[in-house]
Amino acid sequence: MTREGILMMADDDADDREFVREAFDASGFLGEFRYVEDGGALVDYLLHAQGNPHDPASPMPDLILLDLNMPRVDGYEALKRIKSDVGLRRIPIVVLSTSESESDIEKTYDEGVNSFITKPAGFDELVEMAGRLKKYWLELVKLPNGPAR
Amino acid sequence: MEETENLCAPTCEPERSLDGHAIGDPFRRVVESAPYGMVVSDVAGRIVMVNPEAVKMFGHSAEEFLELRIEDLVPPRFRDGHEGLREGFHRGPESRPMGAGRDLFAYRRDGVEFPVEIALTPLDVDDEPFVLSSIVDITRRKRAEEELVRYAKKLERSNAELESFASIASHDLQEPLRKIRMMGERLVALCGAELGDQGRDYLGRMIRAGDNMHGLIRDLLVFSRVGMRGGEFRRLPLAEPLRDALSTLEMVIEEAGAEIEVDELPEAEADESQMRQLFQNLIDNALKFRRPGVVPRVTIRGGIIEAEEGGKVRLEVGDNGIGFDEQYHDRIFQIFQRLHGRTEFEGTGIGLAICKKIVERHEGRIHARSLPGEGATFIVELPKQQKASDDQSPAER
Repeated sequence: MTREGILMMADDDADDREFVREAFDASGFLGEFRYVEDGGALVDYLLHAQGNPHDPASPMPDLILLDLNMPRVDGYEALKRIKSDVGLRRIPIVVLSTSESESDIEKTYDEGVNSFITKPAGFDELVEMAGRLKKYWLELVKLPNGPAR
Repeated sequence: MEETENLCAPTCEPERSLDGHAIGDPFRRVVESAPYGMVVSDVAGRIVMVNPEAVKMFGHSAEEFLELRIEDLVPPRFRDGHEGLREGFHRGPESRPMGAGRDLFAYRRDGVEFPVEIALTPLDVDDEPFVLSSIVDITRRKRAEEELVRYAKKLERSNAELESFASIASHDLQEPLRKIRMMGERLVALCGAELGDQGRDYLGRMIRAGDNMHGLIRDLLVFSRVGMRGGEFRRLPLAEPLRDALSTLEMVIEEAGAEIEVDELPEAEADESQMRQLFQNLIDNALKFRRPGVVPRVTIRGGIIEAEEGGKVRLEVGDNGIGFDEQYHDRIFQIFQRLHGRTEFEGTGIGLAICKKIVERHEGRIHARSLPGEGATFIVELPKQQKASDDQSPAER
């Protein structure tokens, strides 16, 4: 069973956003690809979606791809805010960053991130990653229906 | 012997000292000519005799000294405590050597304090107890020590900065490079047909150069992390990291059709993941530089060198490969130095530099023995136990 799903990417790097979108396209993703450019915009979007559940302009994403190093509100801060919000914390978040640092990995898992992926170096690897993420988070896993209470 | 006894016995040639006690003449000569300050005081702490060196050191004249008590030579902030110490010394007089006890300070006539070392010797003259204090002004030594500590700290700081610079720089360098590679790959995939043979060839070479640079930067990052993100030292059987290294290299070993011979290895206090990396790099190196047409054989041996300060362990990784000319010995341990062209042997030339850095972090040493065409043996010596102070760098991110 395929759920098409809504993907939300928070990344300040336009090239990376394009690569990732193209990679998801190449992997056969048919859902909606949305993006914001920093952590603050991500949190604002999610809060708006939460407050306006029927607004077609701001659907709740099924998966968030989160960069860490972003201007203004960075990935950690956004992660912290989302995971401490009862209404938002069930949305799966995958860190997609250039970082390979042990301390970044530890810190984000401690904040409740669902996965941590270092941005692949080649496009083929990126397509493979997109395919796996789609298969896993949008098809395979069972997620709770709706926000926590 | 006779003479020595004379020197030490103050009663042999009686002479009235200033406060009416007999002090031997040879003894006086010893005191006068001593290269450090000498002050003799009685039970009440009254100074009865000083030498010229003490006059120079404290700035009191010999006559002034005889009006002073030993406490007058102690900085005011320590005087109260000193009297008790002095009385304690007279109750159970025992020689105290130089440098025993904590940091001591003396007080000059002009009110300046200076660091000293003091030896105390009980003296009995006519059955009356005195104390001979021998005083060395250690201002210069202290200053040199402080200078050394300051210098070491500065060095540590600049090393940490350099390592964190390498780590940050290489991380940031990967970013644009990743995009160059990615764009190149997209270009081949989407517009390859229109580029023509020459265009595709250029692009292919550009992407390979990018891959190369990616490898160099990644290795630089690994190299900079050896010092920066070292783990803890703990006592471990070195066979464990070796086993892990061999299992990581399983494919490489199989592909090379190599025979690996492993001796029993000792225990040592070490950083386990760095030991794994050390074995991995040395074995990988041994396999890489094999002789064509010869079954590669790698032997890993271990031993213990008993020595002062807890002894050392000795590890040897030997191979039957192409070897190298020992005149290049130092070069092979330098970062990005290669003895062979890239087309002959793969790699960035960092493996052995990492080994050297790991070994040095463990206060050990690494060297190699080889003859061209006759294999090489890499020898690592590590202390069995690490010194108490870890080198954990403050630059840990």
